[in-house]
Amino acid sequence: MSTLQKTLHPDEKIKAGKIGQAMTKAGLGIAVVFLAVSIVLTLSGTANSGHDSKWARFFHAYVIGWSYIFTLSLGMLWIIILHYLVRGRWLTAVRRIAEAMTGAFPIIFIAGLGFIVPLLAGYKDLYYWAHPDAYNAELNHHLLHKLGEFGWLSPKFFALRYVIYGIGFSAMAAYFANKSREQDESGDPKISETLRIASGPAMILFAVLTCMVAFDILMSIAPKWFSTIYGVAFWGSGCIGSFAALALLVLGIQRSGRLTHSINAEHYHDIGKWMFAFTFFWAYTAFSQFMLQWYGNMPEETHWYKYRMFGEWQWVSIAILVGYFAFPFVFLMSRWTKRIVPALVFFAVWQLVFHWLDLYWQIMPSFDWGVVYHEGARIVAGPLTGSPDLHHVGFSPVDVTVWLGLVGLWVAGVGMSLKGNLIPVKDPTLPLSLAHEVQ
Amino acid sequence: MANHDEHNDHDDAPTSYPDGELYGVLAEYDTPGELLDAARKVRDAGYTEFDCYSPFPVHGIDEAMGIKRTILPLIVFGGGATGLLGGIFLQWWMNAYNWPWNIAGKPSWSIPANVPIMFEGTILFSVFASFFGMWILNKLPQVWHPFFRSDRFAKVTDDTFILGIEAKDKRFDHVATTKLLKDAGAIAVEDVHLESDPARKNMPKWITAFIVASTAFALIPFAIAAKARNSHSNAPHIHIFPDMDFQPKYKSDTAMDLFPDGRSNRGEITGTIARGSLNADDTFYRGIENGGWTTGFPKQLELNDAMVKRGQNRFNIYCSACHGYDGQGHGTVPQRVAATGGAFLPANLVAAGGSAVQMPNGQVFNTISNGFNTMMGYANQIPHADRWAIVLYVRALQRSQHATIEDVPPEQRGSIR
Amino acid sequence: MSAATMEGDGAAEHHEEAGKAREAFRGVTRDVAWVAEAPKPHKAWLGALGISVTMLAIGVYSIYVLVTTGIGVWGNSNTVGWAWDITNFVWWIGIGHAGTLISAVLFLTRQTWRVSINRAAEAMTIFAVMCALLFPLLHTGRPWFAWWMIPHPNDMGMWPQFRSPLMWDVFAVSTYATTSILFWYMGLVPDLATFRDRFAAKGDKLKAIIYGTLSLGWRGSARQWHRYERAYLILAGLATPLVFSVHSVVSFDFATSQLPGWHTTIFPPYFVAGAIFSGFAMVLTLMLPLRHLFNLQHIIKESHIEAMCKIMLATGMMVGLAYGTELFIAWYSGNLYEKFAFANRAFGPFWWAYFAMVSCNVLVPQAFWSKKIRQSPVIIFVLCIFINIGMWFERFVIIATSLARSFLPANWSYYTPTRFDVGLFVGTLGLFFTLFLLFFRYVPVIAMSEVKGAMPEAHAGGKKDKH
Repeated sequence: MSTLQKTLHPDEKIKAGKIGQAMTKAGLGIAVVFLAVSIVLTLSGTANSGHDSKWARFFHAYVIGWSYIFTLSLGMLWIIILHYLVRGRWLTAVRRIAEAMTGAFPIIFIAGLGFIVPLLAGYKDLYYWAHPDAYNAELNHHLLHKLGEFGWLSPKFFALRYVIYGIGFSAMAAYFANKSREQDESGDPKISETLRIASGPAMILFAVLTCMVAFDILMSIAPKWFSTIYGVAFWGSGCIGSFAALALLVLGIQRSGRLTHSINAEHYHDIGKWMFAFTFFWAYTAFSQFMLQWYGNMPEETHWYKYRMFGEWQWVSIAILVGYFAFPFVFLMSRWTKRIVPALVFFAVWQLVFHWLDLYWQIMPSFDWGVVYHEGARIVAGPLTGSPDLHHVGFSPVDVTVWLGLVGLWVAGVGMSLKGNLIPVKDPTLPLSLAHEVQ
Repeated sequence: MANHDEHNDHDDAPTSYPDGELYGVLAEYDTPGELLDAARKVRDAGYTEFDCYSPFPVHGIDEAMGIKRTILPLIVFGGGATGLLGGIFLQWWMNAYNWPWNIAGKPSWSIPANVPIMFEGTILFSVFASFFGMWILNKLPQVWHPFFRSDRFAKVTDDTFILGIEAKDKRFDHVATTKLLKDAGAIAVEDVHLESDPARKNMPKWITAFIVASTAFALIPFAIAAKARNSHSNAPHIHIFPDMDFQPKYKSDTAMDLFPDGRSNRGEITGTIARGSLNADDTFYRGIENGGWTTGFPKQLELNDAMVKRGQNRFNIYCSACHGYDGQGHGTVPQRVAATGGAFLPANLVAAGGSAVQMPNGQVFNTISNGFNTMMGYANQIPHADRWAIVLYVRALQRSQHATIEDVPPEQRGSIR
Repeated sequence: MSAATMEGDGAAEHHEEAGKAREAFRGVTRDVAWVAEAPKPHKAWLGALGISVTMLAIGVYSIYVLVTTGIGVWGNSNTVGWAWDITNFVWWIGIGHAGTLISAVLFLTRQTWRVSINRAAEAMTIFAVMCALLFPLLHTGRPWFAWWMIPHPNDMGMWPQFRSPLMWDVFAVSTYATTSILFWYMGLVPDLATFRDRFAAKGDKLKAIIYGTLSLGWRGSARQWHRYERAYLILAGLATPLVFSVHSVVSFDFATSQLPGWHTTIFPPYFVAGAIFSGFAMVLTLMLPLRHLFNLQHIIKESHIEAMCKIMLATGMMVGLAYGTELFIAWYSGNLYEKFAFANRAFGPFWWAYFAMVSCNVLVPQAFWSKKIRQSPVIIFVLCIFINIGMWFERFVIIATSLARSFLPANWSYYTPTRFDVGLFVGTLGLFFTLFLLFFRYVPVIAMSEVKGAMPEAHAGGKKDKH
């Protein structure tokens, strides 16, 4: 362990300048174009994919895209809190960029209103539990206690929790970022100490909120299914995408001529290490969840995997196993893939694509809803019913366009927070971070 | 130079055992930093057979000495791959191929359940590869080394930093090399010679003897195992914990010296009958009355509805598989035999004028008890009273197949078409 | 630095720095080696050894009765078939995990403070795994047939059933034991070489030969260090997923079943967090008194103890979060049996165990928010004992309450341990402490080479502008 220290290079360009505005403009442009295309596709019926509701595919894709941009910022908030909690060093040089990524939380949660507002307004074909038929169909089923006007899964209560998540995440992100900028001005080392003390409770709040977001927004889309590890697995998968995005963003900023001296292969190596670690961790949680439900073979749990192990979805499952775990795992193990920037960029882009596929795989199989006839009445039987062979991937262009549109919004959100110093110039750990060497 | 107190004796003393061939030169440095600088100089001077010795890995020494990155990670990768493939093969061969084990009808080769052992196999073999690979690459264990003859060198594991150049290096020149080391900041330089005393040169005899003896001793268990595999002994295995494997009792049909006939089995004693086994009533137990088959029923049985029902119940359990529920001989067994291409024709119990109809009750009872042709006896499965109940039910079946309207009680005749 | 610059003022300054550095390295060796070099052991050490051996004897007697009589001497019944034995097994395995975490995970995350305790913690791992292995071995009823679990050609022509989580356990725990021993031994070699050289210098030939053989002729050469460090890093990288897998596999023993209270997907990470939690409590339970007795305060510093307290706080919160998640999902699932299982835990016949678990594991560690408490060894020691108890109860609650109230009310029963259950548990504690005390006396208890390498003096001297 080296205790060497380094100071900031005198020629270093540390001001964000126009890069933030450029990102915001580009991001908004992408968002407007792709969301407009999505809406046109939806209205024209191209994206219908056989569902009763024209908008169902759009909204399912929207939840996927929202979860995607949410996780990109989620992992960075986590690493920032952890950094203070354990008095980390290496992150300091890139922390301002990570903070900018968490600065997108308000935009993310505003973007999420895109499916929360329709839900409140009575749109019923996204979340099955919001469907009036659900109450009738589940009269004798174990879902009932969650339904009803003020039940756990009622649109009003759900929206209320959504607002709490939004405030919680945005406030934590803003607190850590603002305090750190305050230190740029005052150079007060006590601020680091304050943040370190705050990081303990923040981590607890972070853990609880993350689990609840996973349970509410993703898990309840298949409302009869449940898994206690789901929140942990969601966070693990999210961190892969988040560190991949960080690598790309850092590279982009360096390409613009900024921070060229401060950030070097050692920092990329550590970003790559975290990406590798979470690739493994995600696989561990995902395997635990799958293996236990597969082995237990209880109908109330195993149906979720039935629709992913058979029929068309099994190919997506295999693609995720190979593409999201096996391939990057084997290659990210080596030193060179993390230190040689083009190699790291390749794997960052690769994992960002597969992170989307993972979320797609978790949410989209719930898109097909079964219909049963009970005593002559037509009843929607909820997602994941019927034969797995009848559940089609049914890829629609909207799946990608909505995702890209939301990524554009996220880029705009990050751009808005990318201002001032790009490196915490007066952070006491900065000299250590600059001299950082990976063993 | 207070810090050198411990070494002062050696600085002035002649080097130990100067008599053998020169093995190399040791130079001591004060700090890790100076060792690094010296290493860089020695490397730049073109030496290859040199090494730095320190109580802990000095940061940056690899670069200073120009040490190439070790191939150990590759070895570990090979070990891991072996472990993974080994884990897969082990489970597939044992559980799916050599001895497919049926657990609740689940597939004997199911990968999710085999992942944990694949994983542990990968880790175990990687660990072996890195642990043993490291020692082998380091050429250890090697408990003796010429440098150990230097007392100064013994301090390396405590607080001393030493650079040693071996005499076999192409550029080695005693005077020039010593000067180079001194110029590089050495606080002391020492020559190390090989042992010249033949008595001390080789490994002591008792160590050789000890190794040979312990190797031979270690082979004994394998020798015993090899012998046991080729033995044809009938003696039982060694039972350290006998559990209840050997009980002080005789099993049936074994030899025994106590009795004149030499058998452990003791038959019934002549002229005795076991309690409850008298069975004196010929009619009830054997269906015989006055020397022939009885045509009635034993007098102790009350013929009523309950008995017919009981008979039906037993008939359906024991007889219907072959004779069919209706007694016509079309049970599931003959159907199955016919389906596989064979022929099996149980008696039709209800055919008009058939043997079963003509048999007296006692003979039907006897047939149930002792069997007939391919039919086995049911004496062991069905108690006597139940056999009589079956006889009664068979009679009822026969009658029902050939009933006329007169057989129906007048008040129920209206309910039949 | 060339010889020329050593003259004049610079030379005097240099020698002062060099002298300080060498004295610091020597000091580390001295502080660690004196325990093994002292001609007579410490009185407190002898007293502790006496108590431990007595406890061990109780355990040996309990095993004797168990083996000669049968499992019936335990309180296990048809309903509660896994009871104290498996509780103790999981508890001991969990304790071992802190050692691997300190030696591997903290190494990978560059937490240098680990060097003061990693050796002792790794030793603790090995001894804890030894204690743990005793329980399933004895629980098989006929431990002399344990070798049937090893796949080998045999006269029955059959192989182990690899789809059984219990077989996974055999592989996971034996891999873990092997790895821990090899990792520990590899770390020991340079320090055993230090002992070799010290005993040789003193003229203690026998000890010099023993330590010399064990140290494999280690010379501390840079080429050896290079491969050694690589191997250390790789072993740390392997031990990290291994430690996750071991306790996850232990949790699979429960979670693959369909028993409410056992079958839940969060078990693997939750068990791992709990294992680390209890392991750190045990590290402190052991190290706090020994640190005091053997004057190791300047090697095992207050800041190290504080860091461990914080890890306990963090892992305690993780365990608490898992308790909460389980309760929430039991309600959310709407599954009758799940709901009953969790209500039964808190308010059923074993309510006392449940509340002991929650108060010791979730409430007690909250005290570590206070810096004052993190700096008072006596309070930490007491709190760690509570955490040890709490984590024992966690396993007991999971195992006993779920089994005692399974699907069929006709099978419900209560579980009470017998004196042989208690005797065996006491015996494993005795075994653990005996081994640990012997380790403390005869083996370098602190990784000297690593401590030296982590000191600022390790960068002393030479030109500073190396890079």
